[in-house]
Amino acid sequence: MAAVTTAAIEIQDLSKRFGKVQAVKDLSFSVQAGRVTGFLGPNGAGKSTTLRTLLGLIRPNGGTATFGGARYEQLPHPSAHVGAVLEEASFHPGRSGRNHLRVLAAAGSHPESRVGEVLEQVDLAGAADRRVKGYSMGMRQRLAIAAALLGDPDVLILDEPANGLDPPGIRWMRDLLRAEAARGRAVLVSSHLLSEVAQSVDDVVVISHGVLRGSGPLASVLGGGDGPVTRVRAADADGLARLLRERSYFVEADPSGALLVQGAAPEVVGEVAAEHRVALAELVAVSRSLEDAFFELTEAAG
Amino acid sequence: MTALLRAELLKLRTTRTFIALTGVAVGTSLLICVLVSVLSEPTQESVLTDVFTSDTSALFIVILAIVGITGEWRHRTITSSLLAAPDRLRFLAAKTLAFAAAGLVLSLLISIAVAIVGMVILSARDLPTPELGELVGQILRNAEVAALLGALGLALGTLVRNQPVAIVGVLVLAFVIEPTLLALAPDVGRFAPFSALSASIQQIPASDVGAEDANLLSPGLAVLVMLAYIGSAFAVGAVLLRRRDLN
Repeated sequence: MAAVTTAAIEIQDLSKRFGKVQAVKDLSFSVQAGRVTGFLGPNGAGKSTTLRTLLGLIRPNGGTATFGGARYEQLPHPSAHVGAVLEEASFHPGRSGRNHLRVLAAAGSHPESRVGEVLEQVDLAGAADRRVKGYSMGMRQRLAIAAALLGDPDVLILDEPANGLDPPGIRWMRDLLRAEAARGRAVLVSSHLLSEVAQSVDDVVVISHGVLRGSGPLASVLGGGDGPVTRVRAADADGLARLLRERSYFVEADPSGALLVQGAAPEVVGEVAAEHRVALAELVAVSRSLEDAFFELTEAAG
Repeated sequence: MTALLRAELLKLRTTRTFIALTGVAVGTSLLICVLVSVLSEPTQESVLTDVFTSDTSALFIVILAIVGITGEWRHRTITSSLLAAPDRLRFLAAKTLAFAAAGLVLSLLISIAVAIVGMVILSARDLPTPELGELVGQILRNAEVAALLGALGLALGTLVRNQPVAIVGVLVLAFVIEPTLLALAPDVGRFAPFSALSASIQQIPASDVGAEDANLLSPGLAVLVMLAYIGSAFAVGAVLLRRRDLN
């Protein structure tokens, strides 16, 4: 019998409407432990609404958002199970970074020794006793991540965590995400910029206008799954297209008359043409970047 | 609940606003006590309420409580607070208890300091002083009012998220509306929380709060009315908080 695995995060038919605006519509996806999942979509796509609903901060109009089958507010010890960094992390400006964490540690019943540990982990120990109003954006983001790690949670949720980080900070954050997933944690990280997370995610969930556009391993959702794409210009374009379709390749003509063959490398297309003595004027591999695929997905349906 | 209460008390202690307002409360209380003890000649009957109700902590704990709850919205810390305590009712209950406890402790400390300073000055001037039992009773009544007003301030702060509006609103209520009510409609004014009810609980004569014509409630009834105010404001505030989307 196949083993049944429970997803760390399960979103099922989630919908949320703010007045006349449908922020999220019938959204379903899951996040597995031990993997970094990128939650991608343009600004206003519904990412933050989804994450805040998952964390019990927004009440959905329909559907469910659960951790191992339980809503966030039903978890017996929420901050020990889920750590979250939300966009525009806010702190009392007059309180020190250390005191901010001490308050959260007390509220979550975490040992106070964790405060020093997470401050070291995010490289903020030296500034821990300074008031937060003197922190840079990057330092505030590190403090927010420290807060998320306080309870040593199984699930990490980060909403646009690279905002305000400088390039070394972004690299540090990527390494952190990979390290946390390697420890078996489920990591869900949202971004409106694919380039920010492409190097660190295993899976992606792409949404636009509150609707799911694709989910699964990065390569299958945003390229790689369809195989290579070849652009070919032939004297008998219709004949070559028919021959390729007979071999189950997807072929379409672009406005200039060239053929775009999905799933076939130039060598394969060349062999078919040679076999049937079709003269070729152009035969090149088309590079379809992740960004191209991302834009196609998110702009396809408005 | 204990963890949340501890967190709320820690929140309260780790801001400069708390330290500043506590300092002002200590300073004004001792100043009033010294001025009254030095400049007036209280009788045996009046000395207890003339000198030993100089504790101003009740006013400052109301302001601190409003700052404490409205600051969660102002600084957007409400999100991290509710991530740590997703049960919003428990969060609000812990905050209410924290400010009641803070009011109680602050008032006890200030009232004891006022008692020591007042007794020293009155004794030095050979003026009448209260019995120790009477003095302890007055200190406890002062603390009771501070605890109730701490809770009331917090509950009122849940109704008005805008911090300046909430603070100015309560000050206008305490220093303009309530005295006007006591003067013009004493039968209504005797239910005013910041003046009449507080005076009833502290057993201060009605004339001392400008309510010569008001028939103040008994201390027990005043406590019940105050608890009803707190309960009503808390219930409405809790419903609003539970319905609110934090986006």
